[in-house]
Amino acid sequence: MKLRILLLTLISALILSSCGSDTRSLEGLAADIYSDECSSKNGRSVTIYSGRKENLILPVIEAFTCETGTEVQVRWGASTDLALLLNEEGEKTQADVFLSRSPGPVGYLELKGLLGTISSETLELVDQQNRAADGTWVGFSGRRRVLVYNVDEYSPADLPDSVFDLTSEEFKNKVALPGTNGSFIDWFTILMDQYGEDAANEWIENMVANGARYYPNNRSIVEAVGRGEISMGLVNHYYNYQEKAANGSEHRAENFDFRNNDIGSLLIITAATILESSTNVEAAEDFLQYLLSSSVQEYFTNQTYEYPIAAGVSPNSALPELGTFGVGSVSFDELGGGFEEASRIIEASGILNE
Amino acid sequence: MSQVENNQKGPTGLRITVLGLTFLFSFPALYLIWRNFTESGDPFGLLGTQRILGPLWRSISLALAVSVTTAVLGTTLAWLTNRTDLSGRKIWRFILPVPLVFPTFIGAAAFIRTMNPGGLINRMLSGVGIEPAIEMRGFFGAWLVLTLFCYPYVYLPVAGRLRQLPRSLEENARVLGQRPHQILSRVVLPQISSVITAGTLLVFLYTISDFGAVQLMRYDTLARSIYTSQLGNQSVALALSLILLVLAGIIVTTERFFSRINFTTNETLVGEPTQYSLGKWRLPALGFVIFTVLLSIGAPLLALGNWATDGLIRTTRGGSPLTIDADQVWESTWNTFSISVIAGLVTVAAILPIAYLTARYKSRVGNIAHSVVIATFALPGILIALAMRFWTLQSDWAYDLVNNTKVLLVFSYAVRFGSLAIGVVLLAVSFVPKRLHDAGKILGAKRVSRLLRIDLPIMAPGLGAAAGLVILSTMKELPITLLISPLGFSTLSTRIFSSFEEAFVAEAGIMALILIGLSAVLTWFLVIRKAEHI
Repeated sequence: MKLRILLLTLISALILSSCGSDTRSLEGLAADIYSDECSSKNGRSVTIYSGRKENLILPVIEAFTCETGTEVQVRWGASTDLALLLNEEGEKTQADVFLSRSPGPVGYLELKGLLGTISSETLELVDQQNRAADGTWVGFSGRRRVLVYNVDEYSPADLPDSVFDLTSEEFKNKVALPGTNGSFIDWFTILMDQYGEDAANEWIENMVANGARYYPNNRSIVEAVGRGEISMGLVNHYYNYQEKAANGSEHRAENFDFRNNDIGSLLIITAATILESSTNVEAAEDFLQYLLSSSVQEYFTNQTYEYPIAAGVSPNSALPELGTFGVGSVSFDELGGGFEEASRIIEASGILNE
Repeated sequence: MSQVENNQKGPTGLRITVLGLTFLFSFPALYLIWRNFTESGDPFGLLGTQRILGPLWRSISLALAVSVTTAVLGTTLAWLTNRTDLSGRKIWRFILPVPLVFPTFIGAAAFIRTMNPGGLINRMLSGVGIEPAIEMRGFFGAWLVLTLFCYPYVYLPVAGRLRQLPRSLEENARVLGQRPHQILSRVVLPQISSVITAGTLLVFLYTISDFGAVQLMRYDTLARSIYTSQLGNQSVALALSLILLVLAGIIVTTERFFSRINFTTNETLVGEPTQYSLGKWRLPALGFVIFTVLLSIGAPLLALGNWATDGLIRTTRGGSPLTIDADQVWESTWNTFSISVIAGLVTVAAILPIAYLTARYKSRVGNIAHSVVIATFALPGILIALAMRFWTLQSDWAYDLVNNTKVLLVFSYAVRFGSLAIGVVLLAVSFVPKRLHDAGKILGAKRVSRLLRIDLPIMAPGLGAAAGLVILSTMKELPITLLISPLGFSTLSTRIFSSFEEAFVAEAGIMALILIGLSAVLTWFLVIRKAEHI
């Protein structure tokens, strides 16, 4: 009997809570982006394959749905896996939009001819270097490469001016490299493009000779440096902010920027694309423009410590200023092809067994 | 007295069913062959090159090392907790299978977090003046983590088998003056050796398919080469995958050739199995079990608990709020539970005809099906996901029918984890005494009625244990769940992955603890209680 009363209470609570949704508004992080009442459904829908993870981008999607009334469906996954899936699915994919965590998977899809052209109206929301000349992708946030270091072992004054100095005796057995990580391979591709293949090859071989150690990804390096397992490593900037937020003063690491706009402090763009086969192009364009709106750009820099690249939003005050290097100075077509060559050189250097 | 019905090939209907199932289970293999053909992958050309020899050798040596240690560890633990007077054996029986449910990507990370320099254990030890110098990485790290996470593949079936061995043989040996260690090596070991081999084979195949642990431990195996060359060099990745599958095929066929699950007795268990006294070994044995549990379950739980409590404390201190809410967690927990239970039931139903044909008849179809199901376990999950997607896209009809439904997801799980069920199901089928069957036949019961009234009730505990193994593995599965599930479908595992990848360790820790709690409950109901009654 008691159970029945409990069940009835539960059911009525559920019914009550599902009512009143016509005047719904958002809660939590999504409310920071859009705080007014939600619009009613506009009959449109868009499907996103997202290499950006749920914790970071779901609030943006919720705000978009609430503000515009467009329904959104998402498949989450690793950018690489999703790119491979899109290649299998080809014309028949349900995806309208693909969000990549790094340029490599975008280059891969471009080579496979699976990307459509984004309207100039959307493209022109960002500077020329942050979008594709042929309109296949548009950047929507930036991540900087940095040297993360253990504060108990080093002070900034003892750290090198350039990523090229890491090959010196002083840093023997001190540096971690995420050799198989997408952002690292993208960075290496641009290193090859800017300094030539020979110089890039020499750099990584010298790094290996200097006892550089391999770690599978940025996160594991930041975590290991924070524990003092290794002194420093080349990573994306925002992981250290996340680790500090999670572990507080127990985490003993800080970011360091190479000086004089060194290529070691390159900005890497996360890109949005629309699939060639998309049948919801209008809704897809709407979503891309939403990503580039000022409220979302502010959300990116304040919540995820990324660099905003549109709508005149300035970076979070915790972030150091940007250098002049931008990934847009290199064509993504070259990057897509270069990605393969970069992977080959990195593998041949033997870093993966270090 | 063998269970094989004199050289019969088996009923035509059964053979056709198994043939159909074999075709479905071959999807990943057919996909690899087809893609190698169309993408001009060159597996034969690759074979002699350094690109393959190094990783191949590392895969094989790691898999061999992990196989040997899990076989010894799993069998010893099963013996100690089921056949001796070890203190607290009932509790250990419940705890020991738990490592099965740690997803390796977070399990290995948690392990590193605890055991490596600057980690939780090291800080505690250095607090009392000890500075441990061991670092988990490379071959050693991968071997240790995989051994600690994989021994349940041996432990569970061996424990089940040890509890069902008829008392009479061991009693006879004792009466004939054999000493306990002689009984163990001459009577017990021969009877459990086929189960040990079957479990160890799964460990071997799992190790060569594993990516999460070797990646974090920085040990460059074949599976890792496949992952890292997928995007940049797809034809190489496809060729490497095919080589991996062929390697698995060779191993599985060899195992089939040398060992068949044979049952030399038709007697069913009466009463409790014989229990041996450990005597002066009681304390060391207890220490050994506690040490294993502390390493394999204690160490990762410590890190997960640490992440989770930090996160909860953080929110009460006004730090950044958690990025998950209770509704999301509840939804994912329910999804995890329901989809894995369905996957467990469907997988066992799909495996049952294959096990029947293999155990009861001398059928080539049965043997091929058995090998295909097991060898597929060596393939990394992402390849199974891509293969499934590829095949459903080959026909509009199939695409419209299964795309964006859980049907395809469950089917993919069955293909991925059928190998885990087949050994236990085979055991259950073989355990139905032939004379009961014959009696049913004489009394005029039709085949279906015999199946429902004789076989199923006797097999039920075994089938439950098989479903349990599949369920526990499905709960932690990642690549298939991410790529094949209907849009918007999330499980605890996918949410742990999302949080962890972006360094939201508190969220990942909380959900991993929920996943482990949920699996512990299911382990209790499905695996342990059933296995005790096999």
